[in-house]
Amino acid sequence: MAEHAIISVRGVDKVFNSGSDRAVTALQDIDLTIGRGEFISLLGPSGCGKSTLLRVMADLTGPTSGTVTVNGKTPGAARADRDYGMVFQQAGLFEWRNVLRNVELPLQVAGVKKEVHRAKALEMLELVRLSDFAGHYPWQLSGGMQQRVAIARALSADPEILFMDEPLGALDEMNRERLQGELLRIWGDTRTTVVFVTHSISEAVFLSSRVVVMSARPGRVAACIDVDLPHPRTAETRTTPEFFEKVKEVRQALHGAPSEQAAA
Amino acid sequence: MSTVPLSRPGRPALMSRALRLTPVAVTAVLLLGLWQSVVVLFDVPVFIMPSPVMIAEAFQQDFGTIMSASRSTVESVLLGLVLGSLGGVAVALVVSRFPRMSGPVLNTAVLVNCAPIVALAPIFNNWFGVTSMLSKAGVAAVMVFFPVFVNTTRGLLQIAPLHVEIMESLAARPRQVALLLRLPNALPFIFNALKLGTTLAVIGVIVSEYFGGSTEALGVYIAYQAALPRFDYAWAGILVSGALGLAMFGVVTLLERFLMPWHESLHEEES
Repeated sequence: MAEHAIISVRGVDKVFNSGSDRAVTALQDIDLTIGRGEFISLLGPSGCGKSTLLRVMADLTGPTSGTVTVNGKTPGAARADRDYGMVFQQAGLFEWRNVLRNVELPLQVAGVKKEVHRAKALEMLELVRLSDFAGHYPWQLSGGMQQRVAIARALSADPEILFMDEPLGALDEMNRERLQGELLRIWGDTRTTVVFVTHSISEAVFLSSRVVVMSARPGRVAACIDVDLPHPRTAETRTTPEFFEKVKEVRQALHGAPSEQAAA
Repeated sequence: MSTVPLSRPGRPALMSRALRLTPVAVTAVLLLGLWQSVVVLFDVPVFIMPSPVMIAEAFQQDFGTIMSASRSTVESVLLGLVLGSLGGVAVALVVSRFPRMSGPVLNTAVLVNCAPIVALAPIFNNWFGVTSMLSKAGVAAVMVFFPVFVNTTRGLLQIAPLHVEIMESLAARPRQVALLLRLPNALPFIFNALKLGTTLAVIGVIVSEYFGGSTEALGVYIAYQAALPRFDYAWAGILVSGALGLAMFGVVTLLERFLMPWHESLHEEES
């Protein structure tokens, strides 16, 4: 897999307030290789540094030590080249822009010609099935629809990587499951590499090709579990014995994590 | 939350707006009636308080003079408003680019604003010439500058951290962050400041006209009529200047609705 790696993390530590007596080690000695086209979930309890790891890959914060390569470059260069799109827990749409203009934002920032980005944004809205809402303002949309707009926005500049930081965390269970299905369809359509942060075991298993289980204080990789459930995954997938078996395996990895012993 | 279809306010919205204005109109008529009857019943002398009917007659008599006086006053007010708000927004943009400057610059602005700015009028007359429109507009501009600068700075700096992070993830340049995020974010703040600014600009211009200038100006007219003394005419001038302030406030409100459709809809949702 290494030759197809799109992201590689080598020996990464991240210490907050480093040097002071309030120093917190968020990440310790993280090694992780993500292959092109994978759907990776970073799963762990709160405080395990999964969001921090994602933010290090996205160059929204720097590692204290270690090296990160994204698409063959430093994370900073990858960000400057707009190799990734990012979706946060909150949609964070610009309330003064309608849906279409929100989706156009990355293209506009990248300096893409206006005629081109209008067409591209409409295509993205079709992808998330919100074409009828192009002229709506964010306050007129439900939380789930806003998050779909955020996904369309993150994908509009055709990035090779999609970083998602608990994007469905603020939604209710029903919307959550519906959007998980949508997300898999979009992943299938775009063949984008997805790195997805979550604290939900079933969400991680349902979505991922591989689940990276993390433990807390300090944040480490406790286990990597391949999920070979067949595609397309549907609502029925969630009721199969294979699915339950995988959830059980991931749960055991999560509970066997050294943090539990350390905390006890 | 369900979705709401986009719609412009149609007939029902206009009707409800008219209904909302009814109490205002009734109150105004009642107040005018009260004023008229008090003046007539107690035989109040004109130099204390002329009756609304007398003022209306004075207005009618001097209509041409008042209108041409208003015209030059309005021009000064508009010039002052434009200069003051452009200046305020420009300085706010610079300050927001260098947030460490914002403390000292804001404090200096507060200090300057503590001076009674209308007292600058004779100085401005001295600088720009007593008959120059710039000496009147200048006072208005200085008065407008302060609220526009302070509010715009706040709007430019009060940005959701998530929005900043999104722009960062898009590798947006500082100029793009300013134009695509900070400025639209500041628009509601700017419009609030402009609403304050319109009334301030009218005060600034009228008061500085008291200190002399071309005779065709509302401030000069009011001061002159009061000195004659023809207080009913002076009052006509005062009421017209009040109406000017109100009209400009209305124009700014309309502009706000036109430029910020998302904001207007938010308000309709809330009300």
